[in-house]
Amino acid sequence: MTISHFPAMILFSLLVSIVFGVLSKDTPRERMSYGAKIFVAFVGVGLVLGWIMYPMP
Amino acid sequence: MANKATQETVSRPVQPKTGTLVWLCVAAWSVPGLGHFLLGRKLRALILFVAIVTMFVLGIAMQGEFFTTSSGSYLQTLGYYGELCVGLAMPIARFFGYTGGNPLFVSADFGTAYLVAAGMLNTLSILDTYDIAVGRKP
Repeated sequence: MTISHFPAMILFSLLVSIVFGVLSKDTPRERMSYGAKIFVAFVGVGLVLGWIMYPMP
Repeated sequence: MANKATQETVSRPVQPKTGTLVWLCVAAWSVPGLGHFLLGRKLRALILFVAIVTMFVLGIAMQGEFFTTSSGSYLQTLGYYGELCVGLAMPIARFFGYTGGNPLFVSADFGTAYLVAAGMLNTLSILDTYDIAVGRKP
């Protein structure tokens, strides 16, 4: 299976944020909210780091 | 005062035996989510199983590397133990002929990251099982 960087990052973020959400919080609502925050943070930080490192050789 | 002390005594959860805890942790290690399933958290168990096994299978599909302890590198040894934490999935993959991936394949690095992350997430799942069993978490 060949996958490019961005889908690999999205899939990774999705699966990890699901597990973090399930393990970290107690109610379904808190889990959804925490999982969504973690997912956005993963993708956001990944994009920002990619943007910062883009000009680097 | 005495009433409050009585309430605290009543609300304290029963501590399981050490043997039970060990078996729960072994079950949680061997199959992701099995520890939660045995504790009656069936939905949580299903979500953990699907997420962690999907991550492992994607790692295999991307030709991720199975590390070994024989390389002499500390990082590779750590990676081996990280991947081993995913439980029986690793020996099952070997049984079905997965020889450890192809490091020259284009997605192999992603695959290796997925495999190690699956192991690490299962470690968190084992710790969560322990916390639930001893009454630290609902």
